[in-house]
Parts: sequence; C-alpha cells; structure tokens
Amino acid sequence: MNADHSELTGVGADAASTPAVELRGVTKRFGAVTACDSVDLVLQRGKIHGILGENGAGKSTLMKILIGLVLPDEGSIHVDGQAHQIHDPLAASKLGIGMVHQHFSLVDALTVWENVALGEAGRLDPQAVQHRIGEIGEHYGLTIDPMARVGDLTAGLRQRVEIIKCLRRDPSIVIFDEPTSVLTPEESMTLFASFRDVVAAEGRAVVLVSHKLDEVIAATDEVTIMRQGKVVDEMITADADAPTLARAMVGRDVSLRGERAAFGLVNAAAADPADVGTSDDSTPGDPSSPAVLSIREASARSPQGITLLDGLSLDVHAGEILGIAGVEGNGQRPLGDLLSSLVTLSSGEVRVSGEIVSTKTPGAMASAGIGVIPEDRHDSGVVLDMTVAENLVLIDPARAANRGVLDRTRLVESAEQLIAEFDIQCAGPDAPMWSLSGGNQQRVVLARELSYEPKVLVGAQPTRGLDVGAIEYMTSRLRDAASDGVAVLLISSELEEVLDLADRVAVMFRGRIVGEMARDAVDVEQLSLLMGGAAV
Amino acid sequence: MDLVSGLFEAITASSTYVNAALFAGLLIFAASGEWIAERSGTINISVEAMLLAGAFTSAAGYTATDSFPVGIICGVLGGMVVAGVQAEMSHRLTADQFVVGLTLNILILGLAGFLARVVDLTTKTAPRWTIPGLSRIPLFGDALFGHPWPFFLLFLVVPLAWWLVFRTRWGLEVRASGEDPQAGDVSGIDVNKRRRQAIYFAGFTAGLGGAFLIFVQVGRFDEGVVSGRGFIAIAAVIFGGWTLRGTIAGCFVFALALALRLQLPNYYEGVPTELLQAFPFLVTIFGMALFAHRVRAPAALARPFVRGLK
Amino acid sequence: MSDAVSQGVKRQQRQVEWVGLYAASVAVALVASALLIQTTGGSSLAVFDALIEGSLTGTGRWGLTLGAAAPMLLVALGTIISARAGLVNIGQEGQLAIGAAFAVYISFRIDGPGPFNLVVLMVFGAIGGALWAGAAGALRFWRGVPEVLSTLLLVTVATQLTAYALGREWLLLAPDSVGARNNVSEQLAEDNRLPNLSVLGNQIPFAAFLAVVLALGLAFALARTTWGFRLRMLGKSPKAAQRAGISQTRFGMRAMLLSGAFAGLAGAVMFAGGGFQFSNFKFVPGFSGNIGWTGLLVALVAREKAIPAILVAFVFASLRTGSSFVGSTGVEARVTDVVEGLLVLALLIPPAVMFLRDRRRARLATTERT
Repeated sequence: MNADHSELTGVGADAASTPAVELRGVTKRFGAVTACDSVDLVLQRGKIHGILGENGAGKSTLMKILIGLVLPDEGSIHVDGQAHQIHDPLAASKLGIGMVHQHFSLVDALTVWENVALGEAGRLDPQAVQHRIGEIGEHYGLTIDPMARVGDLTAGLRQRVEIIKCLRRDPSIVIFDEPTSVLTPEESMTLFASFRDVVAAEGRAVVLVSHKLDEVIAATDEVTIMRQGKVVDEMITADADAPTLARAMVGRDVSLRGERAAFGLVNAAAADPADVGTSDDSTPGDPSSPAVLSIREASARSPQGITLLDGLSLDVHAGEILGIAGVEGNGQRPLGDLLSSLVTLSSGEVRVSGEIVSTKTPGAMASAGIGVIPEDRHDSGVVLDMTVAENLVLIDPARAANRGVLDRTRLVESAEQLIAEFDIQCAGPDAPMWSLSGGNQQRVVLARELSYEPKVLVGAQPTRGLDVGAIEYMTSRLRDAASDGVAVLLISSELEEVLDLADRVAVMFRGRIVGEMARDAVDVEQLSLLMGGAAV
Repeated sequence: MDLVSGLFEAITASSTYVNAALFAGLLIFAASGEWIAERSGTINISVEAMLLAGAFTSAAGYTATDSFPVGIICGVLGGMVVAGVQAEMSHRLTADQFVVGLTLNILILGLAGFLARVVDLTTKTAPRWTIPGLSRIPLFGDALFGHPWPFFLLFLVVPLAWWLVFRTRWGLEVRASGEDPQAGDVSGIDVNKRRRQAIYFAGFTAGLGGAFLIFVQVGRFDEGVVSGRGFIAIAAVIFGGWTLRGTIAGCFVFALALALRLQLPNYYEGVPTELLQAFPFLVTIFGMALFAHRVRAPAALARPFVRGLK
Repeated sequence: MSDAVSQGVKRQQRQVEWVGLYAASVAVALVASALLIQTTGGSSLAVFDALIEGSLTGTGRWGLTLGAAAPMLLVALGTIISARAGLVNIGQEGQLAIGAAFAVYISFRIDGPGPFNLVVLMVFGAIGGALWAGAAGALRFWRGVPEVLSTLLLVTVATQLTAYALGREWLLLAPDSVGARNNVSEQLAEDNRLPNLSVLGNQIPFAAFLAVVLALGLAFALARTTWGFRLRMLGKSPKAAQRAGISQTRFGMRAMLLSGAFAGLAGAVMFAGGGFQFSNFKFVPGFSGNIGWTGLLVALVAREKAIPAILVAFVFASLRTGSSFVGSTGVEARVTDVVEGLLVLALLIPPAVMFLRDRRRARLATTERT
C-alpha cells in the first residue's frame, strides 16, 4: 500500500516555488478570430485554479493548447520552469498534464479498462491496467468495475472513468473541463472534495474550467477570468464575490437576478422565486385547463434493448413552461426524440390537445404542432449541407411550393424575413448552413420552429454551447412563446436554467418523472435528492 | 438420382470438403483482413481488387523466378499496392470509400485482363504437404491437412489477426477508431492512420489470398479467377457479426456452397448450371438476410472521420 | 463594393484552382496510361489517335458515341437518385441486365402498333430494373443488409439468371437458335425499334434525346421540387428527415426502386435502340457489357449531378467507341478499361482535395466551441 501511495504521489514536493505551468504570451488565431490573445497564466502546485469565462471566451482553446490538441501561433509554455513544445496529447501526458474531458472521450463499446488504456503508448498490459484502476479507485474513492462496458454506465460513473483515465497517468497537472454538467449537485460536491484531496495531499495543480460562478467560488483557490480571448482579471477566489466575477466575465454590469441562469447560480435562482419566469405580461398556464401536451406511461427501448423511457407521464398546459430537471443520461434525450418522432413507444401514448399522436409515423409530432429545438442540432435540427433558406422550411418544404415545385421567390423572401426578425448572422438566405456559427444555427432552428406557430415547443438543452448574449436571447424567446400561449417543455441538465425559466419543475430519473413541484415550492436540496434517485 | 439424394451424396463426399476447404481458405485469407478493416470503420469493397492484384503479381513473381516464396511475397505486395490506393484516397484525401473501392475493382479487373493478354504467365500449384496422421481423419482429414503448402499459412494469419485486434494496443486503437472516432481522437489516437493501417493489413491478407488462388487452388492466372469471392468474404464478416469466430464460420458456410456448386453435378445433373453458379451468392445473400439485423456493426462503420466534423 | 470585388476575385481564384486540379489529374491519368502502353510495347500516340478517330472524327462515329452514351447516362441518373437519398446502389450492371431481359421477354409477346410496343417494352425494362434494385432495398430496410454489398452480389445472380432465361425457349431463347453454340433471343422487329435521326452522316439515336431530356428533368426535380428537397434531406440527415415526416424506409425504398428503374430502362433502350455494339436488337450472353458499371462511374465522376453527367457520359462513351479502333494499332483493346479506371481514380482526387481545403478554411474561420 505504501509503495502504491508513493507511486501515486510521485510529484516533487520541493518544487513549491517554481510554478507547475506557466504560459507566456500564448496566442492562437483561427482565421480572423483570435481565440487566445497573448494569454499569461500561472498554475501553482497545491492550488485549484479556476478559469472562468463565457462560451467562446477562449478557455477551451487555451486548455487544448495545454494538452496538445491545438498548437499555439505564438508564446511559450513552461512546465516546471522548462520551456516545452506540446505537439500532441501524448507529449502533454509525458509532461504530466492530463485532462478530464467533458464529453466525447469514452468509447461506449469498449470496457472501462480498455478506455482507460486508450491513447497511451507502449505494450498493452490488461492486468496492469485493471490493477491500477483498482488502486486509483481505492485511493480516491472512485471504485468501478474495470470489466464493465462503458456504454452500460450511468453518466456519473462515466465521469468517474474519465477521471480515472486522467489520473491513471499520474498527472502533476489535472484539468477539469466543465465537469459538473453531467452530475447531480450532490455528486458535484463529492467531486470537488476529491479535488481537494488530489491537490492538498499530493501537491498537484488542478485547473477547473467553468462558466459557472457558483462552482468557481465554491471550489477554487485562485481564478483567472477570460473574455474574448484575453485574460481580463486574476484574483484570489476568497477575495472575490459573484457580482465582481460576473462583471469581469461579461465586461459590463449585469443583473445577476435576470441572468443568473447564464452564470450558473443555482442558489441565487432558488433564493427568490417571486419573479421567476413570470414577468408581468406573461400568463402562467392554468393547471386546471386541459393539457396541450400530455404523455401517459410512455415506455420505449433502444434496438439494443436498453430502456430509454420507463412509464413517463407528464402534462404541459398552454402558456406555461414545464422544466425537466435531471442528470444527463436519464432519458432526457429519448424524451426529446420522442417528441421529434424519432422514438417509437412500446407502450403509453402521447396526446396533443387531446388527440393521440402516433409515435410510429415519421413526422406525426411535427404535424400535430410540436416544435422542437433538439439537443443535438446537427442530428435532427439542421442539415449542414443545405442553405439557410432551405433549413428555414425544413419541416415542411411544401409551404414554399406550388404543386410540388419550389417557389424560389417565396422561399427567399420568407427566409429574409426570418433572418431579420431573429437577427441571424449569415451571408444571406443562400449561405450554406455550415458557414454559420453555433449560436446562429440555433437561431435558425428557433426561427423555423416558431414560424410554424406550434402548440407545443420543446427546448432540449436549448442553450448548450451558447454565449451569454445568445443564452439571454434564447431564454427570452422561450418566455415569450409561453406568454403567447404555447405550451413550453424545457429539458435541461442545467438546474439553474430550469429554476430560472420554469413555472413547474419535474425531475427525471431513469426514464421517468420521479417528482414534480411548482416553481415557488422548490426546495433545491429536495430537488437534488430526487435527481440522484432518492425516493422522497 | 433425385436432387435430395444427389445433395446427400455430394455432402458426404470427402472431395466436397477438400474443395470447400480450398474455397474457405481463400475466403478466410480475404475475410480476416477485411474483418480488421471493418473493425476500424471501413467497408473495404476493394478486397476483390486486392485478391485479383495479388493473384496476378504472385503469378508474375513466380513466372519470373520459379520460386513459390517469391511469388507469395509478390502477391502480398500486389495486394498492398491496391490497399495503398484505397487507404490513402479514402482516409487521407477523404474520397468516398465505396467510390474508391468500386473504381479500384473495375481498374484492376481491366488491368489484370490487359496484362494477362500481354504477359505470358507460367505457374503451377505448390508441392502438397500432408500432415501425417491428421490427414487420415475421415471426411475432413484431407480437407484440412493435405494441401499445397501455402494453405497452411492460414494457421498463422488467423491467429495473427486475432492477436493484433484483441491483444495489442494497435488493435485496441483500431477498435476505438471503428466505434467512436471522435473519442479516439480526443484520447490521442490518429484515427485515420489506424484506419489506413487496417486497410494495409487487409491488403496483406488479400494479397496472400491471391497467391493462395494461384499456388494452392487454381494453379494458373486468369482474369475471372476471383469473380466476386471478395464480396462473399465481406458478406462473411457481416454474417459473422463482426467477430472473428463468426467471420470464419461464415467463410466455411459460403465455401461449402461454393464447393457444392462444383460437386453437385457429379451426382445430380438436374440443376441448371446457371442456377448452380448463382447458388453461392444466393446463400450469401440469404445468410446475411438472416443475421445482419441481429448483430451490431461497429458504430462508425463506413463513416469517414474528419476532425471537427461530425 | 470592395467586398463584392474581393469575393469575385476569390470565386475566380477557386475556379482556376478547380480547373487546374482537374487538368493535372487527367494529365497524370493519361501519362500513366501512356506509360503502360509504351512499356508493354505499344505506341501510346497511336492508341490515343485511334481513340479519337473511333469516337469522334471517323465517319458516323460520334453518332455511335451518342448511342453508347445514352444508356450510360440513364444508368448514371438512377445512381444519382439513390446517392442523393444516401443509398449506395452499385449493382446497376445487374439491374440493367434484368431490365433488358424483361424488355426482351415482353417485346415478343405483344402485338400492337410500334410506338405502343416500344413504350411497353421500356416500361417493362424499368420494372425489371426496379424489382432487382428493390430486392436490395428490401434487404436493406427490413433485414439490415448493407445495400452496398447486396447490390453487388445481386449482379452475379442477375448475370446467371439472365443466362438461364436465355437458355430457355419459354423465356428468352429464340426457337431457331435452339442447340446453337450461342444462345440468343429473337431479333426485335423493325417496327418496334427506337428510331434514329440522321444528321451529317451520323445516326443520332432517339435514346440519346430521351436520356438528355430525362437528365434535364431530373436536374430540375432535384433542385426545384419538394420531392428533390426531401430526397436530399433524407440523404444528408436521415433524422431531420424523419422528424419532417420522411420515412427512411418508404422514401428510401422508392428512391431505390426509381434508381433501378433507370438502370432497367437503360437495358431496354440498349435492346430497342440497338446502339453501338449492343448486339443488334437481340439479347445475348453478357448483354449488359459493363454499361452498368460505366454508367455508375459516370455518376460518381459527375459528383452526383445530372447535368455534368451528360458530358461525362459522352467522354466515357468515347472511350468505348474509340476502343474498337484501338485493335488496329496492335495494342490489346482492353487497355481502354485501364484508361477508364485510371481516369476515374484521378478525377476523384480534385473534389477530395477541395473538400479538405474548404474544411480547413472553414475551421480556421470559426473559433471552436468553448
């Protein structure tokens, strides 16, 4: 055990004075855009360093430079006082830099140990890898079965695998990239506690990349704030408060009440339910009126036999926003897919305004009046290889056609109108969809879905990957839709967002709704227990 | 004699199994490489061209040197040249893998047909080895243990393929590339490089398969020497659900169909030749129709990987 | 204003790049072919001369080339339809053979006025091709068999089936050729043949007009109708299509049937048009003569666009008609197959290079998501 321990803490303790990592004047340009503009950054051992910024502020690019996925145009990187060029992830891992990725780094079809071994060099030794997974698990309280198939694991366990994959290489610098989006608040707390262990006991440097003020304030010792590719401020976290950080992050005074969702402030959002989601001109749904969207006992399985939905029931009334809270991977995606006619139910039913909508017929949901802003817009929201104008009529091209022949003039005119109305930044109606930024693609989806005057609007993780401005826009549009009498279903793993927008909150766990409460009766603690699957 | 007893006679004749073993040998050479290529994410339809190129170059190599080993090495090189074109064009230049494969099939068929008319090839089968004892097992003995010696390279290639995929880091990375290239990329794997290498391996085994055709099965080159068996090898991989064991089982099933086509007329003449000719292909299609929807393909099969593009 | 100018400059620069790349690729393919001919003892210049004379400059040759181009173009149009729907139908050679066999079968069993018979036999050809492609479609959509493989395997089956039919009097075999060395069908009556138009000493077959009209029609349908819109959508994003009410099974199956119908029609046209080397209005063994494969390549080289396919079909048909003059140079005529293959391979490179370059530029122009 002792030997193991020293192996795990193989980081020099004497290096306290030299920073673990120092970036000097690091610049990276992508065409006309400067993603990182002469960034200086110092990471000390034994400290948790937060990097705070909006989406698009350059945090991720900076981290990708550090782990060798992106090469900087200028500037130098010093690790333990020595200058290094980091050409690829392997080089980074040799220098002791490891990253816990947010998404996309695990292969579902492989086992835990195979995933952990992926991307290393040298001979493959299954026994050694499995043994090491056991060791790390014991040491940090991250136990997991190395022979399990990753595809069968819950989101929380997958995160565990990501962390083990990183720690397995015994990094002296650990980067966590937005680690909490797939965790319950509870799990986040445990995770941050394990950061402490990793840092304090072993003299590692930890970087926490985040756009959530709460998280940074709770977990870090120092914080660097980035905006538009530049470092705009650095401070000791203990000396900072939320308004200061928010101002530095956005570059202007902000109302934390109005935009708290964008800053990830659960507590602030929970604290004052008085003005939540119900600005004066909106009419919250009348629960006694018949539901516009009604799902009863919906169950579905994947072709591989995995349960997607398990007896899910919910109602959404005209003019209200029902928020679905829950940890990612508990059936939110199938729920969105169900309402996009992409999932067929094995039992249960979906009704819109009382009429049953077939889940077997492609397009039935859309023609029943359900608009969807899908979780993955590239999947079913937009077609990248078609033009903006075409994408704006995607669901029903016949609207811009006479007897099956497309009317170019009408197509372009209605596109121009929507482009203006929704302020979509693009070269024109004929611009290919792939030439638009993510935020503008999302606006195209929003514009199209609203232009069909839906009865029900489903927003599945509608603000993911957007910057503060775009988030504000999206949330205000969702509110407007509700006040126009649309039944809005908001599916989001960002609890703040749900608390901020919803009139009612339902919690999803393992494919079903396990609890529901009115917005002004929300108790965050209870909510987080429900999200973790505790029976309340 | 009626069809049923004719079939029975054919199925119980040991010469059927000798033939089936020969066909299976060819299919297994082609399929074991194809299997790895598919595990990496490529449906490599140019395996047909690789077989034909390998057959031609091994015949040419033997004609020039009178040496079987040299002929075999030439066959491997021929297969790998085709693999090179397929790999570099589809996984470096990102041309569509099917388009490249199809073009190669047509090009190599034309080239082999042209060259076979221009060059005089003199070849023969290699000396026969019989494994003492084992080859005397009834019905299967000759089929498995008495063949021209290059046949026995099979017993090296199949374990090699298995070992590469399941016991080496390379194989792990190949599997990751075929399942989730994005995740592989983030983990630090050069996905397209692994896919190219997997195709090169397919070229290697198909090249051996080509040499097998010349030195074991047929003895001389002719442009129709492959005639669709590369496609049957691909079908065997699908039939086998992308497992090596299943793939080889598929090879044996389809090989038996190919052998029956040859043997049945010796016992029963009532089946028209054309239908007999089509029989193995019908069996192949039928076999896939039975199994294809029950098995899980590598998730990224036939999907090109370009970084930053889903 | 200056923006517009710089955009214009950029577009021009792009066009120059395209032309340059294509020219370079074709040159490489031709040089490689020449080298092959020289090293095997032939004269490459003589071969290229023969190709041009045989396809264009010889008496009546360009009319023949048009005749060969027509079925290739028809096959290519079918390929374009399936490709746009995201399906890899590469079994046109077999679909063409089955279509032709259907046309032959019906043509000797109907007895109406010539034009009526022609329409019937072409419809039957289309049905035959559609059935054959439909089999692969059904395997794909109901049994999960990749169509890329089933279409290929069905080519061999089609070849054997048509050979079988050709050996049976109750199917295709001509009564007077029973027992002859080669099985052939009867010859199509003159009334039932597709007409030719005489221009400048060339016979321009009706089929060429038909194919071009269909190409223009398809180009319009793809670009300007809701059908084309939905087809493209299905090919580019099956999930978005499903959400919009386009069933992958139903719509994809229809695309597959239509794709096969075009190949079958090509077979019927080869039979009733009797164009270049197409066996003189009879059905013979090996009738499809690689027109299916070549038509498929035409579609791929034309990058799945109907109008460019017209030109590409003509080029590939030229190789075909030219090859019959190559024999006189002492070089094995099959060399044209090699030239064709090398040409196709070379023509795959420019779009791929441009794609990669566009990607890189697009990636450079937008920041990655944070």
